[in-house]
Amino acid sequence: MPAGKKYDRYNSMLVVPVRMHHRFRALMWRHVMNARRVVVAAALLLATFIGSGGTAAGQQPEPPRVPDLSGGWLRLDSGSGSFDGTVAKHPPAELTAAGRSMVVPGDGRNLIPQGGFTGPAKQAGEAYIVNSGACTPEGTGGSAINPNSTAIFLLQSKDEVLMVREGPGGRRFYMDGRAHPDLAKLPPSMYGHSTGRYEGNALIVETVGLTEGNVQGGGKRRPETRLTERFELGSGGKRLTITYTWDDPVLYVRPHIYEYVFERLPEDSYAFETWCDASDPLQRQSIVPPKQQ
Amino acid sequence: MKSIVTALAAVLTLTVTATDPVGAQEGADRNRSAAPSARDISGFWELSIDGSNVPAAVLTPGITKAVLDEQAKKDAHAIRWCNILGLQHAMGSPRPIDIRQGARMIVIATEVNAATRYLYLDRRTHINREEFDPTTNGDSIARWEGNVLVVDTVGFDGNKGMTAIPGGGFRTADSHLVERYRLLNNGSILAVTFTWEDPKVFRTPHTYEFRYHRLPQSYEPRPPLACDPFDQERTRFLTTPPQIPR
Repeated sequence: MPAGKKYDRYNSMLVVPVRMHHRFRALMWRHVMNARRVVVAAALLLATFIGSGGTAAGQQPEPPRVPDLSGGWLRLDSGSGSFDGTVAKHPPAELTAAGRSMVVPGDGRNLIPQGGFTGPAKQAGEAYIVNSGACTPEGTGGSAINPNSTAIFLLQSKDEVLMVREGPGGRRFYMDGRAHPDLAKLPPSMYGHSTGRYEGNALIVETVGLTEGNVQGGGKRRPETRLTERFELGSGGKRLTITYTWDDPVLYVRPHIYEYVFERLPEDSYAFETWCDASDPLQRQSIVPPKQQ
Repeated sequence: MKSIVTALAAVLTLTVTATDPVGAQEGADRNRSAAPSARDISGFWELSIDGSNVPAAVLTPGITKAVLDEQAKKDAHAIRWCNILGLQHAMGSPRPIDIRQGARMIVIATEVNAATRYLYLDRRTHINREEFDPTTNGDSIARWEGNVLVVDTVGFDGNKGMTAIPGGGFRTADSHLVERYRLLNNGSILAVTFTWEDPKVFRTPHTYEFRYHRLPQSYEPRPPLACDPFDQERTRFLTTPPQIPR
């Protein structure tokens, strides 16, 4: 990034609840001008409605409150002290014998150096190769599931939540109640097949159909492995926690769980564009992790 | 009494919608409505073989065959090395494009090797050139003019991705693109006119139109096809003249 540029990112779409509030006030004002007692009655009913937890006289269960996840999010380092120490903080996966013996095949492109992202975290000053130079659809050496240092962007609609980054591709979480396809008919892919639902104040996403591969914290995955992601807001909507639960009784002794925390991007920021050129020798240069402050 | 009922109904409605984040309620309304909103272009859209009306571009005298050949070499390099390709390739994708509209931005995600496009509805000016690093998609700001979405894009990188523009010419750092999106046929068709201006490339503004068909909601996108820049057979295929098998 050139000197003098501010480091800003784009955040979207938090304005609508506020806009709704203004619309509410405008509507109320018209009625105030007409008849003050109407407002009093409305306020009383509103208070009753809210006090009942949003149910109609308590006769119906409270519908899930849809959290406003839309916008840009940047992954935070959890204070690990090294460049990839966030991963080092994940609890190690407890694999079955089958899980331990599972050999993860490469796709022939040697995208990530042998042992990359599966060994212990690199220490400050310890050089290592982060990428073999190939550019993948999901970005340089990145994972289609676990966000890396580029921002993620979420767009919610009734039938789909779109999760995109600063490069090609994107994940879709189908929210219309559809089921996963028969795994025998679903070609494994780097995104798999994801369905979502709101539960309480969280978005729950279930994914199957991923390609065979490694998982953070020494885990493994195969198309049958079920990944459950829980998206939950904190700090007044400024923080997002995604909790990952990998479950596969063939591979894991118990579900493998870890989480990432994200910070909402400021409103005046914007999406960058991840550039990757496999013809550039610098693309496969070693890096020396700086000491983290 | 009637006014009381109206007021109470409004209060309840607004209370419910205020708990719903952007898009979710709008999406619910859209799906309940028989006629889609003329100002919501969300959906999966596919470009058919008869969906392009592309006249030949009128190029400046400086755009000679040698210049075009040199630019074509750059584009071939981008394909050979699996670079992200950017505009205009993203919008002319042979696979459907996914457009999702929020209150403050519109996202266009493709199934090809092109970065996601972000069209900002909440900005009236472009990021200043001192700050913005040119990209294959540029910096796009959008606004509604009636039922037409007008998208204005600058900030292209003329040396990254596939720069060729349908009808002739190519994008440069000085290119300016204006797109106009509008729904036709009760929302089943999305018409987009593209107008490129670039004093170094086009003698007159170059305009063409794509028409995309709306796909059913049940459509499920596929990830982009894998691209391996180190596949030697692929490299041979792309860099040598085709040979007739014997």
